[in-house]
Amino acid sequence: MPMLTMTKLSRVYRADTVETVALDAIDLTIEEGEFVAIMGPSGCGKSTLLNVMGLLDSPSSGSYQFAGLEVAGLSEGQLADMRKRNLGFIFQSFNLIDELSVFENIELALLYHDDIAASDRKRRVTAVMDRVGIGHRARHRPSQLSGGQQQRVAVARALVAEPRLILADEPTGNLDTQHGEEVMKMLQMLNAEGSTIVMVTHSAAHADYAGRIVNMLDGRVLLEQRRAA
Amino acid sequence: MWRSYLTVAIRSMTRNRVYSAINIFGLAIGMAACLIILLYVRYEHSYDAWLPGSDDVYQVQTYYKEPTIGEMQASAYVAKTYLTKDFPQVSAAVFINAGGGGATVIKDGISYESPDAAFVDSNPIKVLELPFVVGNPKTALEQVDSAVLTQTEAKRWFGNANPIGKTITIAYKKGTRDFRVTGIVHDFPKNSQFKISMLLRWNIFSAFSEFPDMLTHMGINNGLLYIRLKPGSDIHQITSQIPAWKKRNIKDDDLGGQKLNWGDIGDVGIVNVRDVHLGSAQKGAMTPGNSITTVNTFAAIALMILAIGCVNFVNLATARASQRAREVAIRKVLGANRRQLVIQFIGESLLMASVAMLLGLALTELFLPAINVFLDAEMQLHYWGSDGMALPIIVLVLIVGAAGGIYPGIYLSRFQPAHVLKANKSAADPQGSGRLRAALVIGQFAISIGLMICTAVIYGQTIFARTSNPGFNRDNILQVNNMAYAEYLHANSDTLAREFGKIEGVRSVGRTTRGIGMSSNNNDVVRKPGQIIGSLKSQPVIARQKVDPAFFPTMGINLIAGRNFDPSRPMDDASTPFPEDLIAERALVARGINVVLNSFATRTLGFKRPEDAIGQRIDTTTNPKYGGWLPATIIGVVGDTRLGSIREPLDPTIYIYHKRFVPFAVVRYSGDPSVIREKVEQVWKRLAPDVPFKAEFSEDIVAKQYQVEQARAQIFAAFSILAVVIGCLGLFGLAAFTTERRTREIGIRKVLGASTRQIVRLLVWQFSRPVLIANLIAWPIAWWVMRDWLNGFDARIALTPVPFVGAGLLALAIAVGTIAAHSIRVARTNPIHALRYE
Ligand SMILES: Nc1ncnc2c1ncn2[C@@H]1O[C@H](COP(=O)(O)OP(=O)(O)OP(=O)(O)O)[C@@H](O)[C@H]1O
Ligand SMILES: [Mg+2]
Repeated sequence: MPMLTMTKLSRVYRADTVETVALDAIDLTIEEGEFVAIMGPSGCGKSTLLNVMGLLDSPSSGSYQFAGLEVAGLSEGQLADMRKRNLGFIFQSFNLIDELSVFENIELALLYHDDIAASDRKRRVTAVMDRVGIGHRARHRPSQLSGGQQQRVAVARALVAEPRLILADEPTGNLDTQHGEEVMKMLQMLNAEGSTIVMVTHSAAHADYAGRIVNMLDGRVLLEQRRAA
Repeated sequence: MWRSYLTVAIRSMTRNRVYSAINIFGLAIGMAACLIILLYVRYEHSYDAWLPGSDDVYQVQTYYKEPTIGEMQASAYVAKTYLTKDFPQVSAAVFINAGGGGATVIKDGISYESPDAAFVDSNPIKVLELPFVVGNPKTALEQVDSAVLTQTEAKRWFGNANPIGKTITIAYKKGTRDFRVTGIVHDFPKNSQFKISMLLRWNIFSAFSEFPDMLTHMGINNGLLYIRLKPGSDIHQITSQIPAWKKRNIKDDDLGGQKLNWGDIGDVGIVNVRDVHLGSAQKGAMTPGNSITTVNTFAAIALMILAIGCVNFVNLATARASQRAREVAIRKVLGANRRQLVIQFIGESLLMASVAMLLGLALTELFLPAINVFLDAEMQLHYWGSDGMALPIIVLVLIVGAAGGIYPGIYLSRFQPAHVLKANKSAADPQGSGRLRAALVIGQFAISIGLMICTAVIYGQTIFARTSNPGFNRDNILQVNNMAYAEYLHANSDTLAREFGKIEGVRSVGRTTRGIGMSSNNNDVVRKPGQIIGSLKSQPVIARQKVDPAFFPTMGINLIAGRNFDPSRPMDDASTPFPEDLIAERALVARGINVVLNSFATRTLGFKRPEDAIGQRIDTTTNPKYGGWLPATIIGVVGDTRLGSIREPLDPTIYIYHKRFVPFAVVRYSGDPSVIREKVEQVWKRLAPDVPFKAEFSEDIVAKQYQVEQARAQIFAAFSILAVVIGCLGLFGLAAFTTERRTREIGIRKVLGASTRQIVRLLVWQFSRPVLIANLIAWPIAWWVMRDWLNGFDARIALTPVPFVGAGLLALAIAVGTIAAHSIRVARTNPIHALRYE
């Protein structure tokens, strides 16, 4: 069974008189364990696609099945529930909470899970911090870290709940080359360990880390390239 | 989870210090105002609830249809006789202070005033179960000539010695009478209609042997009547039968062959002791009452101040939403649902409200003693127990917390995370919230402006009350009381007046039965000669005032027509001897008297112009024994004077020249008031050493008369200052946040060439607009409320636009001042700095 399937999926933004078709009848399937890169010029609908995929936005028409379940028609509460069980997000602008320490920021992803005990939580957060190499910064506030370090915290936060799918929107967009490479290596490693990853990027070099590249233009899928494994 | 909420809440509170301080401080003031008013409302409603069995204790009141007489707490002694006779539910009744309160205590040959001594005609403890310190409550006042003192009064006369069994000597008739002290009661609390320092049991019939009529007529309301019902009795069973009871008991008066009945002009009311303080009848009360309207008004204002504090809360929370939006979005992305987010925000708001409450409690504890002094009250802040504030405090925190948190919670949790988290885009201010904030700010300022207008009008009216022309020259008068008492003991009031007149600096001395600051207590029914009166209802009631010829010139009351009384004309003098001499009284009725009217009375009697009344005859009422009607010829008309409060209507008045038993001397002087007072006292001590000297300056009397109004005006002023301060705090916070959010826009504007002044103007205008709109809401409401309030006065200031425009401008000035400093700082910052910021 595929991880997710989109059929004739469209997303239209309506603002007063203007109508923007951000996604135009997309057909897309992503299998368990894939690493997919999405590319395309600015404004072609990449972020919109990722948001819909991540259940942060709903399609205007068409079908979206996540893990075999049709998503259209689910309530806000059900969507929130699905998100916390299945999805991890990484953003271009790290989006960490300034009031919380590194540890607490990562822990936040587990706090909304009622079934994880406090001791278990601590263990998992510590483990994931070590995995992304920021264990020694647990008590720092995000503002005290470099961009690369912040993004690693964000990656750790996306990972800690062990989601089935990690969505990353230009995760390297705000980073210099060296830090960008580090993050890409990390994603590659995660994929190798079995995580499914969908990543938006403008960098062809970074797209090369992925097993499949989806090229978009004006809300449509223009071209799909598979890399021989 | 809760720990995470708490961490974020506390860290965000400490990070945004200005924001938190404004919120917490504004709320704390609002809560303190609320708590103090709550204490005040409870206190006002607690009057005489301390009295054991107060459920069954009632005061009998007297209501007159004539509005110039109105409703009074006093009763007639016969009412007691009739009530106990006809209603078996009445288990006991006591008539207090017949003839007025106070007694003169003689100790070691010197006389002292004991103004709160109360004479009782029967055992009062059967009705008022006062808590005794020493003595047997059941028997203490069973016997005539026994006395029960409060602890303070006992200390005053007996020091630390045991007073039980000792005697206290009281001036009584022409001599003295000894009362044996049989008990000590606790001092009366301040939340009581009773102001009593000792209870003196006397025999009311022998006390009034010279005036037996005073105990037999419903129209002589000269004491306070309290009754106790048997437990379980229904008061309505009595009140519903009062009309029949009146018919059965009140006999017609025979006035020169005409039958008239008191029941036609008067009524009897029975009011539970706990309802007396806030009741409608306040004349003749021992302690000043209050009106339920005033209490409710203050409660409403306190709630408004709290509302202003809550508005700050909501406004600043939504304005700050952009800062919190990212956090909310992340939480949503991580799977938080809306309920959890709303709970988080309500939790934060509760935390803030709790901190504010702690501060509010501290403020309350800090200011309560001063407020107690100011209001002469004994309010106490208890936390536990039946009158404990713990429950209201918790409820207040919950309500304010929920009110302050629910909207921001719902509003913030509605954010679309995809929207908010877009790269390079901080959360925009979603539509609608700006408009809501503007609406709330308008509301805040409407309240503030309204309160300012009310304060100005109330102050204006208070000043007017003290300074408006009362129809006489109010300054430099010393009013000496107890003249009738001196006359009674020594028959020397003429000598006293003459001797006062000889003092250097005294210009003239007049005498009157109605002093400055008193309301009319003596009313006459008047008719045209020979007129047949169907019932008392339809007849004009005119206040009767006995004066001497020197009264008008001393007071500076203008003669409008005719002439003043003339001591050399025997017809003018209506004095009759004391004790009562039937022959002399009847001779006076046969002879007739000359009277002076005020111009209001000539109008009441139907004369077109004051001059028309001169030489005309009218009949005034007199004791039926003397013939019922006393013919009077009008010899003069004087201007109207306002002796009572500006709240009370002016009285149509008939002046009679009478030298006997006139209690007040008015002494007009020039020079140093204290020297004059001292010299007058020396004369008094020489001529009437056994009568306490009691004198007041007219200025003090008038000030006391408007004390309540004054206090109310000050409370109003305090409230409106609070409202304005909290409102401006909120505006300041809002301005701070908005300008911060607009830093980038301001930077761009500056890069494009806008000057600091233009930017300041832009910002100031943005925040002045709601204040201007607030005026449009506040003006009509304040106008309406104040017109109503002013109509409660007999003489009032006009409602001019001045307080309205003034309050509006003041609010605007304060608002602009609040914002301008901030705007200038922001407008001055280097645009490069501002643009790098995003
Ligand atoms: N909330 C919105 N309302 C209206 N139109 C929107 C909204 N969000 C996105 N769009 C439009 O949808 C289209 C796709 O936007 P999207 O953000 O997905 O582009 P993108 O491919 O991620 O671009 P970039 O590479 O610059 O991030 C654009 O034309 C954009 O203007
Ligand atoms: Mg994008």
